[in-house]
Amino acid sequence: MKIKLKPLHYAIATLALAAFLPFFITNDYYMMLLNRVLINIIVVLGLNFITGLTGQMNLGTAGIFALGAYSSALFTKYTNLSPWLGLVTAIIMGVLIGRGLGYPSLRVKGVYLSLTTIGFGEVVRLLIANTPKLTGGTQGVRNIRPYHIGSYQFQTQKEMYYLFLVFTAIAFFCAWRIACSKWGRIFKSLRDNAEAVEMSGVDIASCKIKAFTVASIFGTVAGAMYAHYMGYINPSTFNLDLSTNYVIMLMVGGLGSVTGTIFGSAVVTILPEMLRFLGNYYQIVFCSIILLGAIFFPDGWVSAVTVLFKKVYQRAAKGHYAEGGE
Amino acid sequence: MGTILQLLISGIAMGFIYALVAIEYTLIWNSTGLLNFSHDKIITVGAYIFAATFIVKMNMNKPLAIVLTFMLMGILGAVIASGIFNPLRHMRSNIFAVMGTMMLGRILAEAIRLIFGPVPFTIDNWLSGTIRIGTLMVTKANVIICVVAILVVIALQLFMNFTKVGKAMRCVAQNKKAAALMGINVAQNICITTAISAIICSVIGMLIIPLFNISTTMAASIGLKGFSAGVIGGFGYLPGAILGGLFIGVVENLAVAVLPAVYKDIVSFVLLIIFLLVRPSGFLGKKA
Amino acid sequence: MRKVVNKRMESLLRVTEITKKFQGLVAVDNVSIDMKEHTIHALIGPNGAGKTTMVNLITGVLPLTSGKVEFEGRDITGMATHNIARQGIGRTFQNIKVFPTMTLLENVMVGGHEQAPMGMVKGIFDIKGSRKEERRLKEKAEAVLTRIGMYDLRNHLMKNLPYGRQKISEIGRAMMNDPQLILLDEPAAGLNPSERAELVEVIYKAYEDGYSFFMIEHNMDVVMKISDYITVLSFGRMIAEGTPGEVQSNEEVIRAYLGSRYVEQDKRRDSYVKSEWN
Repeated sequence: MKIKLKPLHYAIATLALAAFLPFFITNDYYMMLLNRVLINIIVVLGLNFITGLTGQMNLGTAGIFALGAYSSALFTKYTNLSPWLGLVTAIIMGVLIGRGLGYPSLRVKGVYLSLTTIGFGEVVRLLIANTPKLTGGTQGVRNIRPYHIGSYQFQTQKEMYYLFLVFTAIAFFCAWRIACSKWGRIFKSLRDNAEAVEMSGVDIASCKIKAFTVASIFGTVAGAMYAHYMGYINPSTFNLDLSTNYVIMLMVGGLGSVTGTIFGSAVVTILPEMLRFLGNYYQIVFCSIILLGAIFFPDGWVSAVTVLFKKVYQRAAKGHYAEGGE
Repeated sequence: MGTILQLLISGIAMGFIYALVAIEYTLIWNSTGLLNFSHDKIITVGAYIFAATFIVKMNMNKPLAIVLTFMLMGILGAVIASGIFNPLRHMRSNIFAVMGTMMLGRILAEAIRLIFGPVPFTIDNWLSGTIRIGTLMVTKANVIICVVAILVVIALQLFMNFTKVGKAMRCVAQNKKAAALMGINVAQNICITTAISAIICSVIGMLIIPLFNISTTMAASIGLKGFSAGVIGGFGYLPGAILGGLFIGVVENLAVAVLPAVYKDIVSFVLLIIFLLVRPSGFLGKKA
Repeated sequence: MRKVVNKRMESLLRVTEITKKFQGLVAVDNVSIDMKEHTIHALIGPNGAGKTTMVNLITGVLPLTSGKVEFEGRDITGMATHNIARQGIGRTFQNIKVFPTMTLLENVMVGGHEQAPMGMVKGIFDIKGSRKEERRLKEKAEAVLTRIGMYDLRNHLMKNLPYGRQKISEIGRAMMNDPQLILLDEPAAGLNPSERAELVEVIYKAYEDGYSFFMIEHNMDVVMKISDYITVLSFGRMIAEGTPGEVQSNEEVIRAYLGSRYVEQDKRRDSYVKSEWN
């Protein structure tokens, strides 16, 4: 009996698996890794709209992430209101950044856009680091309150994990709905050939800004989560290396693939830790693996594995027919 | 007035450094279409090879060390070109090229850390001391930077205009297919271009030793500011690279007289963003 | 479906004395064209005559130096390209501009994006509504593909389709918004004879369904077979206009296309024949 598996079934299965995962993990360090993965998934889901679908290079993701973290942290610090309102602040910040980054992206293309986004990321980091009165400067912001419902505070790694799982599921749902709709199609067409889209009556400027705004909202929300999770943030975290890591996660998962973001975030966050047994060499091995992946599997590692499986399956099928046929 | 002049002179010296950075990545951009995000690490490798191996470990005399560093860096450049740049430039999206060069940079940084250790250091008696020009005290380093930079530019101009290989490089930069049809081995030419770029990187590395301590991140900021220099002066255009570098060096330093010193690093990025939005072809570039 | 309009008296597209200068080079010089409703109007001329520039001026891709463009009596001069498209004008491209990473069906559906008005945020949460909208768009695209005879290729990736198919698919994409007028930029270029025959069939069937076409074309077979009216450009200026028969026998057109040497040779041959006869 063949059961047709719909995406909904996969989603429920993955969610159930994720919900049971903490029962097998005893070490708090690994829980921390999982929480990091969840935050990263949300960032990469957003980045996918800019770089994966619309094909615009973005090396300033750390700047978006930082602005989300700082806006939520500073809001809750100065107003003493709930971190949930901080989350709302982060979303508003995301909308503003979307407009802010979206308009330049209309006029600037290719390598120039890479440089503009790098410039954006660096300016954000340097401004945060050098306005100590507002942001605490290089000392950062301390004692950021964690999320709470009523008097119940999400303190331990496992508690935060379940909360973040809910956030990530919602984010994934939204990203999936957008990417699989006519918007996903339009974003991909903007990547392939923007002028043709114009003659179909589409205002490509407003579409590009929509893509940037969606991506920025995902980024700032993840930043807010990060701030209230760590309890302490400082500007040195939000540098070009972080932006680069996010693009790597996207590449490993496959540009344009929404489900790939889970795989990419997990691999790039967890693999370096798994390689620690190599001692001093783990970083260089990790970077070499990524570099080789970029050259040989540009469509992402998942697609490489599926292509391999298809080839093996085809060979097996051929062999079967050769023996059983005639 | 004295301080302004001092700032101007150190600004010009830094400007020449930025100009050299812009030149070395413009060479690679013109011939491969790749933006080499690992260039700051290549500069660092040059500095480390010179300082750590030849000077500290082997205690050889400086001129010999310089020549040997050039040779090794040239080989490194050729290896990087054939192993990494050549496959990357054929990829369908420049996202992969960017990521590839960034990963290369990280690998180089890690290799440096593994081979030479993570502790920053410096070498003595290298470009140290001051000279008196009129009423000003100028560091020898600044003077040597200016002189060396000008020599490099002149040598590059002579090479590209009067040697067969140099002319071939200009052909490859303008039209690879036509160059190949004329019998130029494009892949080989790209190796030579990258080797030259790597040698210039090692020059930069040696020149900045008195300015920054030798560490894995010593060239990070000048790497990014070098990109700004190229854009502001005119992307892909060598005279533009020089003009852009000097512009950023001078403006950055003079800004310290007006703004709080902490904002110095932001100046170049703000200039970069303004130019990219308002006049992406830079001062000397052709308007698209 | 378009309703068939039989009256040809109304002006569909009227460009009045349009000029385009590029820093000293005059690409289009004082050209006026009045195209009537429900016709197929061809724009021909040697390479570099300014034909594609004309189409780019009409669609707002390039700004005019002077002149006026009117569509169905409305002034569209200086409008943004996507707004011009929304007035009811579609277009294909000389060097095809398709979306290679998507399927043929998805390519055509992009053409109809404006037919699906639901906003993004609503689309996320209104699963039923957005599914219905998508289905309607898909059905329309499948109908268009059937009309141009490519329904069975609909799930193939665009980059895997032969060049001729990709070209004809652009016409399908342009049809999604039910435009009154479709601008074709060298639709036959790069097609082999059987593909050209298919192209002519597609265009003519669409014409019978009520579409009008403004076509740049080099291939005289195609032009003479299906156009109602022809404008001839040379070096940016209009040198002739009229029905296919009128244009074919116009000496200046022959000179601009074939060169005066042929006219001279014909004259010499005629005088030689005359002398032989005498």
